[in-house]
Amino acid sequence: MKIIDTNGFKCPQPLIMLKEGLQEMEKGENVTIYTDNESSLKNLVTYLRDQGVEPEVSSNEKVHAIVTRRPEANLIDTDPAAYCETGIVVNNYVVCIKSELMGEGDPELGKVLMETFMDNLKLQEQLPTHVVLYNSGVKLAMKQSSVCSSLSELEELGTRVMLCGSCIDHYGLQYDIGVGMISDMVVITETMAIAGHVIYP
Amino acid sequence: MNQKFDLLSTIEYGGCSSKLPAGLLSEVLKELPVAVDPNLLVDVDTHDDAGVYRINEETALIFTTDFFPPICSDPFEFGEIAAANALSDVYAMGGTPLLALNLMMFSQEKIPMHVFGEILKGGNEKVREASALIVGGHTIDDHPPKYGLAVVGTVHPDKLITNAGARPGDRLILTKSIGTGALVSGQKNGLSKPEHYRMALHQMKRLNLNAAQAAGKFGVKGMTDITGFGLAGHALKMADASQVSFRIHTGQVPLLPGSFDVFEKGSIPGATFRNLEFTGKEVHFTRSVGYNLKMLVHDAQTSGGLLMAVNPDHADQLVREINLTDPDSGAVIIGEVLPRSPRILYFE
Repeated sequence: MKIIDTNGFKCPQPLIMLKEGLQEMEKGENVTIYTDNESSLKNLVTYLRDQGVEPEVSSNEKVHAIVTRRPEANLIDTDPAAYCETGIVVNNYVVCIKSELMGEGDPELGKVLMETFMDNLKLQEQLPTHVVLYNSGVKLAMKQSSVCSSLSELEELGTRVMLCGSCIDHYGLQYDIGVGMISDMVVITETMAIAGHVIYP
Repeated sequence: MNQKFDLLSTIEYGGCSSKLPAGLLSEVLKELPVAVDPNLLVDVDTHDDAGVYRINEETALIFTTDFFPPICSDPFEFGEIAAANALSDVYAMGGTPLLALNLMMFSQEKIPMHVFGEILKGGNEKVREASALIVGGHTIDDHPPKYGLAVVGTVHPDKLITNAGARPGDRLILTKSIGTGALVSGQKNGLSKPEHYRMALHQMKRLNLNAAQAAGKFGVKGMTDITGFGLAGHALKMADASQVSFRIHTGQVPLLPGSFDVFEKGSIPGATFRNLEFTGKEVHFTRSVGYNLKMLVHDAQTSGGLLMAVNPDHADQLVREINLTDPDSGAVIIGEVLPRSPRILYFE
C-alpha cells in the first residue's frame, strides 16, 4: 500500500502531493494519506470524493489517516489550490451583534438570551474568526457588561472582537471599553464581505 | 595579507539581540529622576529613539547612542552595520546626523589589531555616506568586542518626528523587511542559506536616510526605527506613546527570504521570547496568525527599517517615493492606526 505523508505541510501542498501520488499509482491500488491539519483533511477528502472514491478517515489526537484507493477511472484534472479556497469558506464565520439584546420582545429575556448565547459561543468546537459589535451591541464590550468576560475569553482563544467606533462615540462609551478592537465601517464591511458566513443571533 | 578573523566566534548573542529586556529596563529607569527643561522636546518618557533639545528657534539637537557585540563575521561589515544602526535613531526623529564618536570595546589579547582597524573603517564608511563627521571616540579593553557610535544630529524643531505622533486613521509603513535576528542566528546554527544571510547583511548596512527624507517631505509626524525589541515591541512603544492602537496585517509584513524557514526549523533566538514576554497582554493575534509569524514579528532586528504613520491620502505616494529614491527598499503599508482600544497592537 502506498503512503503519502503530508504532515507539516499546508494547503495546497498536501493536495499537490496527493495528486502527484495518485498519478504514479496503479488504478485501484490502496493508499493511506496522513495529515496533521484540519483544513487539509477536509480538502483532501473533498478532492478524493470529487475523484469518485469514498475515503475512510481515522484520527488520533494529532494525525488523521485517510484510507482509500486510486480511482478506476482516469483522474479528473483539477487545480489543487482551488480546494484550499473551499476549506477557508467552510471554516470561517463571523458573529454580528447588532443590539445588546438577543431577539425582539421582553428586554429582560433578551439580556438573558444574549448571556447564554455568549456562554455557548465560546464552547463551540469551531470558533468564529470575528465577533463584530455595532449599534447598542457595543455596550456588551463595556467593562460592566455581563458578557464582557465571555468576549474576553473568546479574544484569548484568538477570535478578533471588533467594535464600531462611531457607535462607541455615539453612546459616549470611550472610557468604559473592556474588550475589543475599535474599528470603522470600512474594516467591518470588509470583514463581513469576506466571511464564509455571518451569524446574527 | 592579514589573516581572516571570524567575529561571530566571539559571541553568543550579537547585534540588537543583546539588548536588556524592555520590561526590566523600564523598571530600573522609572526609579531615576527625569530631566525637566522647557527646551527638552523629547525626553526618556516616551521611550523614543533619541533625546531632542531645542537650542534656538531654528535648530534642535538630536542626541543618541547605540553599540553592540558582533552581528556578523567580517569586521568591516560589522562596523558598517553598527554605524548604520546608530545613525538610524537620528533619521527616526526626522533629523540629519552631524557628528559622531566611535565607541569601542576591544581586547588586543584576544583579537588581532587589524580587526580593530577594519571595524573602524566600516563605521567611518557609513558615517561618510551619511555626510556626518567622526570627531573622536573612546576604547576600553573588553571581550567580546562591542562597537557603535554616539551621534549628534540636527532637526528644525517644527520638523521633528517622534514616536508619539501617530493619529487614528493614519496608515503604517514599514521600510525594511524583518528577520535579521532569525537569519543571523540561523547562520550560527548552519540553517541560513548563504544567499539569504548575505541579503540580511546587505539590508542591515543600508542607511534609513532616503526613507526618512521622504517621510519628512510627506509630513509624517509619527515614526520610529525597528531594532532590538522587534517590530511588535517598537510598534507597541510607538502606539503607546501616541495613545492609539495599531492594527497590523501580518500577511503584509515583508519578511527577509529564508527567515521564516529558520524559525520553522526551530532556531528561534532568546531575544524573540524576551520580546514576546514584553509585549504580552498588550498584543492580540487572530487565530489565523501562525506561531512562526507571531515569533517573527518579535524577532530582534539590527539596523531595521523605519515604521511611520502617515495620513491615508498620502500613504501610497509615500511608499512609491521611498521605493523610487532607494531601489533596494521594499517599503509597504502594513497596517493602520486605530483609536486607543483595550489592547495596543492587533495582528490580523
